[in-house]
Amino acid sequence: MQLKMWILSATAIALWLAPLSGLDKRIGWHKFIQGLSLGAAVSCAVSAGNIARRLAEENEIETIKTRAITADVVDEIAVSAYVSQQQRQQEAEQILATDEQSDEQETELNSIRESLELLLNQVSNDSGELAVMNLSTRQREQIELILQCHAKGISGKNKILKEVWGVSAGSSQNYRDAKAEYEFLMPFVKGEL
Amino acid sequence: MRAIHLANYFVAGCIASSFLGWVASLHPMAARAIAFLAAATFILWGLCWLLDFSVSSWLKISVQNLQALLLASLAAIAIGAGVFLCS
Repeated sequence: MQLKMWILSATAIALWLAPLSGLDKRIGWHKFIQGLSLGAAVSCAVSAGNIARRLAEENEIETIKTRAITADVVDEIAVSAYVSQQQRQQEAEQILATDEQSDEQETELNSIRESLELLLNQVSNDSGELAVMNLSTRQREQIELILQCHAKGISGKNKILKEVWGVSAGSSQNYRDAKAEYEFLMPFVKGEL
Repeated sequence: MRAIHLANYFVAGCIASSFLGWVASLHPMAARAIAFLAAATFILWGLCWLLDFSVSSWLKISVQNLQALLLASLAAIAIGAGVFLCS
């Protein structure tokens, strides 16, 4: 199409200039040829102009199409990125909620177990033997360690807590827990003594 | 491509102007008719140049485009006529 346009343009210029410069106006058939060539040159130039206009419009349409496709692709990428981000966020929220639930359940189970142990120990407090039997293995080991501390001459509460539970005096939760457990175990330790 | 399209129409205008010159050279009556046509075209051209804002709104094109069109048509007529007269 472009080749046709170029040929038509070149033909138009040739048909315009060549007969006017090469032929004599005074000779009748020369003049006739000049008129014919000028008419043909006008039609060639107009045809070439139309072809060029059509090509320009096609180029513009192609450019618009390319822009639209690019915009679609960009939009699609942005949407997929947004969707995947939302999914990841939801998954993270679900994981966090599950962790919180499991932590709460664990804390609740621990407190129930401790309450049950305390209740059991209080119910069977009449018999020291039975109470010791109802203590957990860990508690019995701790009693043993406390007794060993006493044997070594370590008698301070904080020192025993440091030796047996590995906690230093302070206001930490671990220290408070250890202290509560120590106070709970003390009657049994005295019973052993 | 748009420039080629405009250049082709410009060349077509030049050739048409030469063709009108050729028609004018055929007979004195034709010459008078072409002279009348040229005078009318020139008056119309001047009016368009003077009333550019009204004409541009009527043709629904910008004033710059109208002025460019008028200058290009004047140049095409001048070149076409010049080529015909000098040959």
